[in-house]
Amino acid sequence: MPSQKKVLRFSLSWRIQHFLLMVSVTLLIITGFALRYHDTWFGRFLIFIEGGFETRGTLHRISAVLLFITAVYHLIYILFTREGRKEFRELLPRKKDFADFVESIRYDIGKNEKPPMYGRYSYKEKIQYWAFFLFVILMILSGIVLWFHNYLFGILPKWFFDFSQALHSATATLVITFLVLWHLYLVHFSPSNFPINASFWHGYVSEEWLKENHYLEYLNLTSSSEEIKNKGYGK
Amino acid sequence: MRRFLYFAIFLFAVSQTSAQLRNERCFVCHGVKNFGIVEHGKFKSLYVSKEDFEASVHSKFACVSCHVDVRVIPHLTKPQRIHCLQCHFEGNVVGAPVTAKPEKYKESVHAKALAKGKNAPDCKDCHTVHYVRKPEDPNSSVYKTRIPELCGRCHETVKEEYYNSIHWAGIQKGELSSAVCSDCHREHDILPPEDPRSSLNPKNVVGTCDKCHSDVKLMKRVGVPVQNPEAYKESFHGIALKFGVVRAANCASCHEYHSVLPSRDPRSPIHPANLAKTCGKCHPRANENVAKGKFHVLPGERESGIVYYVYTFFKWFTLIVLIGLFTHIVLDLIGHIRRKRKKE
Repeated sequence: MPSQKKVLRFSLSWRIQHFLLMVSVTLLIITGFALRYHDTWFGRFLIFIEGGFETRGTLHRISAVLLFITAVYHLIYILFTREGRKEFRELLPRKKDFADFVESIRYDIGKNEKPPMYGRYSYKEKIQYWAFFLFVILMILSGIVLWFHNYLFGILPKWFFDFSQALHSATATLVITFLVLWHLYLVHFSPSNFPINASFWHGYVSEEWLKENHYLEYLNLTSSSEEIKNKGYGK
Repeated sequence: MRRFLYFAIFLFAVSQTSAQLRNERCFVCHGVKNFGIVEHGKFKSLYVSKEDFEASVHSKFACVSCHVDVRVIPHLTKPQRIHCLQCHFEGNVVGAPVTAKPEKYKESVHAKALAKGKNAPDCKDCHTVHYVRKPEDPNSSVYKTRIPELCGRCHETVKEEYYNSIHWAGIQKGELSSAVCSDCHREHDILPPEDPRSSLNPKNVVGTCDKCHSDVKLMKRVGVPVQNPEAYKESFHGIALKFGVVRAANCASCHEYHSVLPSRDPRSPIHPANLAKTCGKCHPRANENVAKGKFHVLPGERESGIVYYVYTFFKWFTLIVLIGLFTHIVLDLIGHIRRKRKKE
């Protein structure tokens, strides 16, 4: 690979948030999976390496606190920092995302010659973000009900705890599906990222990569807004 | 007098010729209802019912086959105390059946108490001395329907509790599969709940109840939901218990043990009106809210209500998401490969 110009794509704060999310969610999945599949050999093995049944629960709760802190951090970030508000606006779904999706499928099946031009976040990444946004809210809320059941017993009916448990377990399965299938595809197994897109760690991507995957963001970085208009933004 | 003596000698001679007749000889005295002696100032009956003895599993044996120290009849001295293991030992020549039961008994609370000199039953206290019958014989002292009475001779308060239970009601209705003492406590190897081998140890309670309560045919017959043990094992309580957290609730924690009653019975700890108190044993803030919902829910069953709908919705939703994402990925990769080939 020829030496390329590097572009900073993710700020330090953005990377810290991702790191916290990655660590907490991984721990939560490992400890939660152990409980959900307690009657399989893998579940028993996980419970064993997590130091027994009760330690497993404690680990799960510690990780949950970490996830909660991450979520609060992220909320503060997108509400109260200039950078966060800008990132959040970039992540909001737009009409273009639906068009991009159709274009991208057409490109895949050979109907289009050129791939759609993505902005800072493609519809694929937006799906990832919003799925997780929803998951984290669901998991935190149902998790709080389950964790503090002793306090909530006097307030909530019994069926609400069953409901929370069902929701917690079902959403967890969906989270794993998304992570394993979609997130790992996006950042590891998609041809332009294989074997790993390390920008989550150092924040940098090559100009070449940016041009290929987020053309509009690339233009934004390299040219003035005037030029972008001429090159057909918002086609 | 002389004539009587001759008769007596004749009777003696005849009686010695066969076991049956020898027994006849014993029953001359022991067959008289109020036959007995005064021992330590108390009347002690020495009566043996001939009819009942002859209906017992030992009817073919002579009295003296067990009472070996009786050599002349009438005997003048008190015969030695006899023990079942006189015959029921490995390699005996009289064909007495040998089982592991005496060995199991030796481990039991009863045998241990007896060894310490306490008042506790051994074989004869349950099986009787002279009228041992097969357990399946309705007249046996250990026939299923008689067991609560038998154990209740010593365990009086427990007997009264048990007589209030649905299990006893079942027995009285003729449902002989219903549980009596021995179904949960076992017969011979009765161990204290602290013993990890005990059927009553918190870790084993679920298995003990499960023996009957996961029997599909039986539970259908008596109208008890058969999925309850399964649902329990999938619950937090069940999983925690399985992994050794014995303070987690097992069946008996909520259902009681001797006085098990269905939830429709107002005396039952699982009657909706009593649930707050029952759950409150471990969850101090429990109030009437704990009665608002279903118990022993399995996500796959429609009766589980909201849990079923959440489970079913997510099952299909996850599947659709899985297929959708997977298809997208495959299309991407196919497109990538085709474009690469075109380039070359």
